[in-house]
Amino acid sequence: MLHVVQSAARPESDAVLRAMFEARKSVFVDLLKWDVPVLDGRYEVDQFDDVHAAYLILAEPDGAHLGSARLLPTMRPHILDSFYAELCEEAPPQSPDTFEITRFCLDRRLSARERRQVRDTLVTALADHALATGITAYSAIAEMGWCQQILAFGWRCMPLGLPKVIDGTMLAALRIEITPETPALLAAGRITASALRIDQRVAA
Amino acid sequence: MGMHNMATQFMRVVEAVANADDLAAAMTAVTEQLGFQYFALTHHVDIIAASGSAIRLHNYPARWADYYDRNALGVSDPVHRASHMTSVGFPWSRMSDLIPMTREDHRVLAMGRDQGIGDGFTVPAHVPGEARGSCSFANEAGRPMPNEMLPLAQLAGMFAFEGARRLWAMRGGLQMPPRPVLTDRQRDCVLWVARGKSDWEISLILGVGEETVARHIKQACERYGVNKRTYLVILTLFDGTLTFSDIFRRRYYPFPE
Repeated sequence: MLHVVQSAARPESDAVLRAMFEARKSVFVDLLKWDVPVLDGRYEVDQFDDVHAAYLILAEPDGAHLGSARLLPTMRPHILDSFYAELCEEAPPQSPDTFEITRFCLDRRLSARERRQVRDTLVTALADHALATGITAYSAIAEMGWCQQILAFGWRCMPLGLPKVIDGTMLAALRIEITPETPALLAAGRITASALRIDQRVAA
Repeated sequence: MGMHNMATQFMRVVEAVANADDLAAAMTAVTEQLGFQYFALTHHVDIIAASGSAIRLHNYPARWADYYDRNALGVSDPVHRASHMTSVGFPWSRMSDLIPMTREDHRVLAMGRDQGIGDGFTVPAHVPGEARGSCSFANEAGRPMPNEMLPLAQLAGMFAFEGARRLWAMRGGLQMPPRPVLTDRQRDCVLWVARGKSDWEISLILGVGEETVARHIKQACERYGVNKRTYLVILTLFDGTLTFSDIFRRRYYPFPE
């Protein structure tokens, strides 16, 4: 079930949000060792989780977290312009119809196959949400390995600048274009992925 | 041209390539701009055993390619192994930072040098669930590593590998979603745009209203998901909707036969 949540000022108030913040702590703090704030020892919540943030959350009917992403309006302070402007050749994108995708989070309890399904559903939901709400582009910051996966989804991406090593990690900023064509591009990306997938080739 | 402009231009080209020859041409051009002579886009599998299903595109001299194939280096090549340890591009001369180099590895590299293979830069490419791969740029022995271009090489390698993925998936016999198809009238209009005519001129040539011409072109742009006429012309040339001989055809019949 997809939940589109417009504001998370009070995470305690909603089970779906709470589960997402817990999953984020598990992924970004425990697994990836990011140095980000943790609330009550359980929830990963930072200064951008305010009334301006929006969330796409995939959850089981009982509210258990499957996957989620946070969208920040680029007209307000966001991660690219606040911390990583050097990744952009020009000024970081700032427009009412451009949102920054951050905290793309797939639950650690998922198997590899489930992760792929949840990831694809979440990416499709991002495109649908953009088309439904007038968003024409997303910006995103990604480590190089994740960048290659973002491209492989099939949507149209352009680099915003050259990659740079920041705190020991090579990062790049991408602009992801969303047009009415994007859902078809994502569908094509899934076909590409299934054609190249090793487990299926061996089985075939 | 700024580095980022070069990157953007290359990505547009990769996005529009329709076959391996187009991609090879784009790669040859960008390889030279980056300060290298050779490129190799490849999945890390035994290429001879994988017989065509794995990505393989390069402009290495024949003796290099033979050497790699004969030694089935796709799987055991230290460059490939090192690229499994990182997602970031690395110069071959720094490989020992990434993997322990065995005596055999040193022998393989020495054999490569005997074939004239110099230093190179490899961008790892890994999409989960698929064979690992990479995009390498290389020079003959004795040519300097273009260090200042390596960030751009990182981007170019990443986008090039993605371009190759899409082409190879199609080769596997799977149907990609239908490419945009123009109506005959839209195609006529785009053809005259490619020949440099204005909407007003096209309206006289085709005997329709100027607004009709503008609408056909706008709708053609929409079918290709672009908003610039020049880009529309480039894409229709790439996918064969138009050909260069259409555009530069000498004979021109002003009246219907």
